[in-house]
Amino acid sequence: MAVSARHFVRLKLRLTANGLRARTWRVVLFVLGCLLAAFAAVAGYAVFSLPGLLGEDRAAGTLLPLGGAAVVLGWLFLPLVFFGVDESLDPARFALLPLPRRVLLRGLFAAALAGVPAVATLAGTLGMVHTAARLGGTGAALAELAGVTAGLLLCVAISRAVTSAFATALRSRRARDLATVLLAGTAALLGPLQLAALAGAEHADWDRVARVADVVAWTPLGAPYSLGLDVAAGRAWAVPVKLALVLASIGLLLWWWSATLERAMLGAAATAGARRRTDSSRGPVSQLVPRWLPRTRFGALTAREARYWWRDARRRASLITFGVVGIFLPVMMAAGSGGAGARMGLLVLIGALAAVSLANQFGFDGSAYAANVVAGVPGRLELASRAAGFSAYAGPALVVITLVAGLVAGRPGSIPALFGSLVAAYGVGLAIVLPISVRAAYALPDTANPFAMSSGGGLAKGLLSLAALVGASVATLPLQLGSYLLGDAWLWLGLPAGVAYGSAAFLLGLRLAGPMLDRRAPELLATVSAAQ
Amino acid sequence: MTVPRQRSGSEPALAVRGLVKRFESKVAVAGIDLDVPAGSFFGLLGPNGAGKTTTLSMAVGLLRPDAGQARILGYDVWADPTAAKAKIGVLPDGVRLFDRLTGTELLAYHGLLRGMDAEVVDRRSTELMDVLELGAGNRTLVVDYSAGMTKKIGLACAMLHAPRLLVLDEPFEAVDPVSAALIRDILHRYVAGGGTVVFSSHVMTVVERLCSHVAIMAGGAIRVHGTLDEVRGASSLEDRFVEVVGGRTATGSELSWL
Repeated sequence: MAVSARHFVRLKLRLTANGLRARTWRVVLFVLGCLLAAFAAVAGYAVFSLPGLLGEDRAAGTLLPLGGAAVVLGWLFLPLVFFGVDESLDPARFALLPLPRRVLLRGLFAAALAGVPAVATLAGTLGMVHTAARLGGTGAALAELAGVTAGLLLCVAISRAVTSAFATALRSRRARDLATVLLAGTAALLGPLQLAALAGAEHADWDRVARVADVVAWTPLGAPYSLGLDVAAGRAWAVPVKLALVLASIGLLLWWWSATLERAMLGAAATAGARRRTDSSRGPVSQLVPRWLPRTRFGALTAREARYWWRDARRRASLITFGVVGIFLPVMMAAGSGGAGARMGLLVLIGALAAVSLANQFGFDGSAYAANVVAGVPGRLELASRAAGFSAYAGPALVVITLVAGLVAGRPGSIPALFGSLVAAYGVGLAIVLPISVRAAYALPDTANPFAMSSGGGLAKGLLSLAALVGASVATLPLQLGSYLLGDAWLWLGLPAGVAYGSAAFLLGLRLAGPMLDRRAPELLATVSAAQ
Repeated sequence: MTVPRQRSGSEPALAVRGLVKRFESKVAVAGIDLDVPAGSFFGLLGPNGAGKTTTLSMAVGLLRPDAGQARILGYDVWADPTAAKAKIGVLPDGVRLFDRLTGTELLAYHGLLRGMDAEVVDRRSTELMDVLELGAGNRTLVVDYSAGMTKKIGLACAMLHAPRLLVLDEPFEAVDPVSAALIRDILHRYVAGGGTVVFSSHVMTVVERLCSHVAIMAGGAIRVHGTLDEVRGASSLEDRFVEVVGGRTATGSELSWL
């Protein structure tokens, strides 16, 4: 009997259902995710069908290509930054089965389509079909329907291909730097788009935005979503051309995915190649604990944690992603215009985003955390050392981000105050994230893909990150008010006030989360070491 | 600071009373009582899924029992975890080590984690790496170790702080005969020096050669326990094991297509 894509879809659904069995919090998360997705779908439908309902073909010509491109870009970046990929069907699991690569690829692709995000995206973008139908009748609606379907395929293909390629690249040490540059470059592409959007919004220069939209409508990002409008505007000849463009892009992406898939399948079996490093003559403790750390429990825990942030591909991925986002957001913000208040708000987000990397810190360890449980490490020490180990990377990164942000904005005098706000946001972020990491840890699948998530895990990650971001933004409001009210005095007060505020918040979080960890360590271990 | 109450010499190294653990609807461990005398070499036997790992995990504080208690050298593992955990070294099975460290780094980590002095950690780690033939200067990450080397470094981590009780889950699984002999020697010396070893296994020959005391588990309960001679009686341990556990023997008519 031939294996068809249907089998993969059924396997995926079965795995999802089994993952929910008798796990209350997972069911809750799943339902919550469905509700959120339904909300996003309804909102998307409403927005995209609005130009049609109003009969505004000019607005439609702008909104559909740009909105569609935003959806595609969302599928590209959100998995990398926030959600991870649902890898309940891990390619490595199929390595031993006699499946041709075409069949495997088709099956995995179909399985990726059978998920809540894909359904929600389809439902949301169907609003464009509504608009096309209102503006151009049945023909336009049919063309737009084809476009929206192709757009969905493009979204899934782009997210799969890019995460798979990035994962493969991150696995080898040599290619890691290349991958970093690639991701940075891709993120940089967002810059021009953002500038155009900002400039457009600011000067309400709709002609310029419309011109951008016209260009975007001819790129694979916006093309699928503008098919119906072309029919409505009497440019039916554009439909086959754009469709060919989109299908070719999908084909290219799938080809790229299939090339990296092969290596992903080998990933589980082939070790990364045991690197025989030169022997060290230093004492064992000095090999573990660098000179700037005390040779104590705290030193050992911190040193191990700092090592892990670089040696573990999953952690490295989140570290690199944060670095890229952290550098590019302020640059883009500064290059565009916007008040000092907006800039503060953004920096708060970056400080909190750094802390969010720790939201599932125990999940990274998995069952290895048993060593610390057996040794009876006190909760407060455990959490403090983990925060310290991560701060060895986050601290310098925050300094660089502040310098870049201050210099690019042409206001070097504001750098100390900016740094103060960042530290405050980071401290508040940690205070929120530490209890989350103890109470809401989840197991990560044991695959080579650092972006892989078990089903439901992606949503958990996204929700936790969002909660921490919102919480940190709210909790740093006093500082933002201070900067707004005090004016120039803030330039000097900002640094000490921010550092004090951040430290106090961190200590408070530690006080709360430490005893929590003492009580829950075995349960936490059971949660993070749960197989799949 | 409370003064620990005076302990008599006959205090068991590990005492387990009425331990119960349920996973969802399945009962993994159904009320176990067990005493491991101090200075004994104790083998916990059982087929796969008998509940050995679950029992040992609950006894060392890795898994919270639904009912019952465990005492290590008189300290209650779940009421006074700090004192109890200081006395034991554990080699869990099916649990990853912090394997992105090198073997030497991992040993140093465990040593410092146990609150040991850095100099002592240095001395003992180097010695252990040498004795276990892992190479003190070797900078291979533990994740790149072979299965046997991983067991050895895990054992080294469990022994580094010279605990009074060693709890080892399947210490001989995936270990080659040469390394197994080495591990046996080390454990023998440890017991001769007054330590107590509890380990789980389903390799009868190893158990028969090493253990002074044995317990056979099946279906989440202890079926037989006592000294090695008491348990095996006149027959071999393997025959006794199959008899107690109730294995099914092939008649020869199945799997005819093989």
